[in-house]
Amino acid sequence: MGNKQTIFTDEQLDAYQDCTFFTRKEILRLHSRYHELAPHLVPMDYTKEPDCKLPLALIVAMPELNENPFRNRIVESFSEDGLGNLSFNDFVDMFSVLSEMAPRELKAIYAFKIYDFNVDNFLCKEDLEKTLNRLTKEELTPEEVQLVCEKAIEEADLDGDHKLSFADFENMITRAPDFLSTFHIRI
Amino acid sequence: MTTQLQRQGSATAVQGTGYMGDQGSPRLQRVPSSRSNHNAPQFNWSPASTAQEDAGQEAAVPPKDLRGLPIPMALKRAISQVQQMQVPVLSSFQSWKRSKAKSLSRGRKSIRGFLNYIKLWRKSLNQIGGNFGDGVQSYFLFLRFLVVLNFLSFMLIAGFVLIPSIVFRSVASDPVNMTGPAECRQYDHNPAALVKFYSYFLDFLSGTGFMEYTYLFYGYYNNTMVAGSDFSYNIPLAYLFTAVFYFAFCLICITAHMGTAVRVAVATGGGATGSYSRIVFTGWDYGCLGDRSTKLKQKNLHYQLQVDLEEDRIKNEAASLTLGQKIFLYSSRIVLSLVAFGLIIAAFFAIYQATIFSQSKIDEIGVLGLIYEYLPSIVITAGNFVVPVLCDQIALLERYNPSITVIVALLRSVFLRMVSLGVLLFTLWSQITCFQGVSGKCKLCHYNYESYPCWETRVGQEMYKLTLFDLLITIAMLVLVEFPRRIVVDSSSSKLAQMVGRQEFVVPANVLGLVYGQTVVWTGALFCPLLPLINTLKFVIVFYCKKITLFSNCRPAAKTFRSTKSKVFFLLVLLFGWSLALVALIYSIAQIHPSMSCGPFRSLSSMWTIIPDSFYGLSQTSQGFLFYIGSQRFSIPLVLFFSVVMCYFIALASVYGTSVNLLKAQLKLEARDKQFLVKQIEALSRTLGVAR
Repeated sequence: MGNKQTIFTDEQLDAYQDCTFFTRKEILRLHSRYHELAPHLVPMDYTKEPDCKLPLALIVAMPELNENPFRNRIVESFSEDGLGNLSFNDFVDMFSVLSEMAPRELKAIYAFKIYDFNVDNFLCKEDLEKTLNRLTKEELTPEEVQLVCEKAIEEADLDGDHKLSFADFENMITRAPDFLSTFHIRI
Repeated sequence: MTTQLQRQGSATAVQGTGYMGDQGSPRLQRVPSSRSNHNAPQFNWSPASTAQEDAGQEAAVPPKDLRGLPIPMALKRAISQVQQMQVPVLSSFQSWKRSKAKSLSRGRKSIRGFLNYIKLWRKSLNQIGGNFGDGVQSYFLFLRFLVVLNFLSFMLIAGFVLIPSIVFRSVASDPVNMTGPAECRQYDHNPAALVKFYSYFLDFLSGTGFMEYTYLFYGYYNNTMVAGSDFSYNIPLAYLFTAVFYFAFCLICITAHMGTAVRVAVATGGGATGSYSRIVFTGWDYGCLGDRSTKLKQKNLHYQLQVDLEEDRIKNEAASLTLGQKIFLYSSRIVLSLVAFGLIIAAFFAIYQATIFSQSKIDEIGVLGLIYEYLPSIVITAGNFVVPVLCDQIALLERYNPSITVIVALLRSVFLRMVSLGVLLFTLWSQITCFQGVSGKCKLCHYNYESYPCWETRVGQEMYKLTLFDLLITIAMLVLVEFPRRIVVDSSSSKLAQMVGRQEFVVPANVLGLVYGQTVVWTGALFCPLLPLINTLKFVIVFYCKKITLFSNCRPAAKTFRSTKSKVFFLLVLLFGWSLALVALIYSIAQIHPSMSCGPFRSLSSMWTIIPDSFYGLSQTSQGFLFYIGSQRFSIPLVLFFSVVMCYFIALASVYGTSVNLLKAQLKLEARDKQFLVKQIEALSRTLGVAR
């Protein structure tokens, strides 16, 4: 089944299985998807751990991410340099966190990073406005946007500083039953 | 190995220091959560010493679950390598335990991979979920659950009832013993010698004629009780036990399936509060594929937010109604509820009359006879179409806010569908037992032997007809209504066509249809043992039909159907249908006299009496054991024990709830304290600054 493949060594596949929520088959499938994005840049042989990163523009061209309004933020949150260049490790990590078996706490951590546009560890009103505009494709009037942002912060803010820290965000997420099923990319 | 580790070590050295809390890579920015710090083991990052890492920290601690750590993959792999490199000094028992745990997890991984591979319709469901959202996907997931449930039930029935019957019938043709008056034992099931060619098709549709005396229906099974030297099999007992176990099996499957959903629903408190923040942060379905569905999702979110803003506005308005307007609103609501209730009662009356009429015209032949046979099904289906539409219009007049309107309409539909089935069963029962043996027709055999020589087969035929008619209606709707509607809407450009638009896939109505079909199967399984198999095939056909209509004819709904709460709701409605069928089962087993001319219970006064009869055939020790279990000395302490366990869990749950509330209040207080202190500091620094 997987014994004939020459892309990874067995130890590498075991390590990937330990560190992600994927099975052997899925990891190999992910590698072929990664390779498809840039066939001349990505080597087929990963046994020597090549240092190969794909730029943001190539990753967001994937059909699973192409139409997502947060695609840039997603890829930036999982990249090591914060600019969206993903190595294969980061690529697998991204889809592992977004898979259906990842626990709620892990997803909440990364969701917070994605919605934090100015990367200051808080979700302030500007972050929410940007999120809302991307969600509704700017169809709401500016007054409605203001109203919704105020109400959203009011509902979730526990310590009264008019912005959401990670604790507020996580608390609000635990009360949202759909989070696990919506924060999920099928690959 | 060491060189690789060295390379890993040096590559991760930079990130390692970053992880320790300095600036480092943005990816490793510490999210202010205590959890991400606790789980990370503390490692010495210099390459030379990692190889020498020994018993030290990992002595008796099992390898941590790396998958849940929010750190980059390269770090995780390094950690896992180091963990594997370490050879902790363990006792032999601990190392045995560790190796067993490892092989268990590997076994679990391979099972998971295998199950993922054979999961039925996985790709189709992914496609549906990506294009139409979670609400529609939940309908198809529910359908798949029912298909698997029916198939497993059929395996159960086939193994214990069908195959032994086939074997015994082919092996031995012993004379079947019958008791009772001669008139009651008359059962003419042989089809007429010379039949028209189309009557085979009509018989197939109604279960009569050549299909009546087959394994399909109760009447064909004999009451063979094989008692060999080392092998004995009691078909009536097996039949009864299989029916009871079938119900228990379905109950277990449904509650197990509901388990996770209920846990999520209880933990999140139903998600009633915080609707705005919820929509903003969890509204976007990351699994959305394709341009069209993304645009629709955005419109959808826009619609949801507008609905919420509108609901707030209505709430503010409602609070400011005058007394006179309030009285008018409430009285109009009561009147309209009565109107809706009256409509439902009218539908029940129509079903009652149709069933009586159909039963009286049982001897008609030809196509007219077929229509008379199908009259109850036709009336039920017509009622299920017409009455909910009228109820929806009434609900609009009642002017509840949108979410309550949906719930009220759903509850009315559930009531209508389930109780209409109950009315049908009640009518049949009244015909068969003449309202419990009042009239003269039922005096001789305790049931109406003239019209129903084998009444169980007749009931089975009614359920069979209901199932088949449901399937035919689904296919007919697909071909005659949905495809033409799409063609008309797409090709014509008139205003009316645009206003009507393409069809929407309405999830609740479709789910109720499935629950109704499953309830019919449960009710009929005792009388028509192959009904679960027929239902499996029917649901498979329905899956493909609905999928075709979804992708060709439907547009995604503007209003989403919340999938987590709804899963619990679907299963609750299914349980309601199950309990209805259970009532019918218990009544048939315990109260009604079985037919004396057919079936495995023909010589008994009720189906239940086979159990006491065979009980006294058991050995003395088994009898004594069973008596003891049923006695008060055993059962009362058992009940007490379970009550104590339940009280313990309830107390635990309430304690957790109180502590959660206390912690929330404490959080708020601490934040306010912090703000107060900050203000004090500002004031103090100002006065100090001024003073200086």
